Amino acid sequence: MTAVPPVDVERARARPTGHLRLARLVLSEYFTLVLCALYLAAVYPFVPEMLTAEVAANVLSDMMPLLVVAIGQTFVLVIAGIDLSVTAIISMAAVVGASVMTGTGGYLAGSPLAVPGAILAMLLVGLAIGAINGLSVTRLNMPSFIVTLATRMFFAGAAIWYTTFHSASSSIADLPAGFTAIAEGDVLGVPVTVLIAVAVAVAAHLTLSRSRLGRHIYAVGANPKAARISGVPVARTILITFMISGACAAITSVMYVSRMQTGSPIVGENILLDVIGAVVIGGTSLFGGKGKVLWTVFGVLFLVLLDTSMKLLGASLFAIFIIKGGVILLAAMIDTLRHRLMATR
Amino acid sequence: MKIGSRLLLLLLQNAPYVLFVVLLVAFGLMSDRFLAVANFRNIIIQAAPIAILAIGMTFVLLIAHIDLSVGASMYLTASVLALYFTGVPWPVGLAAVAVGGAMIGLVNGLVVTRLGVASFIVTLAMLFILRGIAMWLSNTRMLMFPDAITDLNRTALLGIPSAILAFLVVFALAWVVLHQTPFGRQVYAVGEDPEAARKAGLPVERITLACFVIAGLCAGIGGFVTISQIGAVGPKYGDQVEFAAIAASVLGGVSLFGGRGSVAGTVFGAILIKTVQNGLNIINADPYIYPLVTAAIIFLAVAIDGLRTRILERLEQRTIRPLSEA
Repeated sequence: MTAVPPVDVERARARPTGHLRLARLVLSEYFTLVLCALYLAAVYPFVPEMLTAEVAANVLSDMMPLLVVAIGQTFVLVIAGIDLSVTAIISMAAVVGASVMTGTGGYLAGSPLAVPGAILAMLLVGLAIGAINGLSVTRLNMPSFIVTLATRMFFAGAAIWYTTFHSASSSIADLPAGFTAIAEGDVLGVPVTVLIAVAVAVAAHLTLSRSRLGRHIYAVGANPKAARISGVPVARTILITFMISGACAAITSVMYVSRMQTGSPIVGENILLDVIGAVVIGGTSLFGGKGKVLWTVFGVLFLVLLDTSMKLLGASLFAIFIIKGGVILLAAMIDTLRHRLMATR
Repeated sequence: MKIGSRLLLLLLQNAPYVLFVVLLVAFGLMSDRFLAVANFRNIIIQAAPIAILAIGMTFVLLIAHIDLSVGASMYLTASVLALYFTGVPWPVGLAAVAVGGAMIGLVNGLVVTRLGVASFIVTLAMLFILRGIAMWLSNTRMLMFPDAITDLNRTALLGIPSAILAFLVVFALAWVVLHQTPFGRQVYAVGEDPEAARKAGLPVERITLACFVIAGLCAGIGGFVTISQIGAVGPKYGDQVEFAAIAASVLGGVSLFGGRGSVAGTVFGAILIKTVQNGLNIINADPYIYPLVTAAIIFLAVAIDGLRTRILERLEQRTIRPLSEA
């Protein structure tokens, strides 16, 4: 093994710089933002309307619900879990909230408490399903992906079943104007949904970066055993992250229901890939211990740009399926690459 | 403490059998048609495709991986068969879907082993990609299959319906491979502890790859049996069958944590799931509660697996270090 051919020596010497440059780009905080800019530049010749104010406003309003649920997902991914049930939480919260406030036979129909009561009920649905997920993971030692697959299947089915008791059609309509105003209203020109999403993002950012809970969450994600030995309440921390994810999904549900003006049991059905894809492409690791709210903002921006451009290009549902699946796969590969680069450093 | 744990373990390990007996009695009391011999024949015929899928899933679960793409793989191979293999005799069709399924499994396995990406996220992404390709090829139309394939459903050999025959052949092959060959023992070794297996010189990556190929192959065969039974496939075909397959395996005692389980258990799990669905059907239950019941069963099976694994870990810890008990 002593006689190494000269060519290999050359190559071995040349490798580190190329590797280093790639590593620096892939590990960069703003990798996803660079990706957004590159993508925008690439599709601009085909869809120049991407850079108009109207499309930009659309991108912004499409981003908000997805951003809130993705922020919740970020918490769960940081503790090395995953929450696949968020779509079912959105649907379940949608029909429960609608059944509370609908003008035709709602529990609080016509009451001034209808809207706050409905929003409270939606948040409770999110927190409760999150608690079921969290307790199953911590108390019953179940892997989070399979727990949340099962709760996803259960509550997606339950949402449809629930609707049959409250409406003759496939969704619950006749929602009060006070509720649908959430999607349409604005404060000093800033849409209410943007305000809600920014509030959630700031709160989530402060929780993760400044609070003791945040430090616990990162500690549990990086190494649960070490965290337990250091006195971190591991089980409670995991439970809280799942409940945060559930609550965020419920807030997303509020946004979707007010925009669609009807509580549909399939409202969340198709956004699972967007949620996971956005968070992972943002740079939050599936291996846990690493993730930031800002990264998720970039990831959501990328996904929404992708979505908007494909719709403008007239891509069909199946093309969107293929491309989004490919994006998730790519994001997971980049995540693994990052993980390895970090390990070798 | 130790005896208590062992008793609980015994209960958890036999919970699916207890559940099965309870279900038989409950459905039997609710409908006199349920306990008929013809109905059991029906249950096994209906369970055959899921059992075949679940047998493939067992291999992947044994090495502590998962394959969420089998349903989408069934849809894609079925679409290709309907669109590009029109008029071929059924053995060619079967070979085509089996090879197609195996190739999809190969892709899954290569991404998992070569790139080191978690299998659930690879196969989740593949689920959408494969389904997207199949919808693109078929234009989301209903695809019909020729009589050459649907006639199989009415064919029997020595009085055994073709679906049950296919299931028995797959079961026998899987049982021999898993329990009678060096490869089978290596699968268990990799599932138990991949690091230890690697240090013992086992080709862990090749074994992982082979398990994904087997899962894909079984998805192809299971899909073919389903096609022969239903005769036409639409965009919802194969949707969520991966959950049924995982549930069948886990109910049958296969651990999601790897290294534990058998194909015989998996077959029992598949029959248990179909018994539930058949029973719900016979007592005219609200169709909206089917997914709820199925999800609850999956949840229960995985909860049992989680508790069992925790207790086993505790028990094994003590036998390794008997001194700590003194």
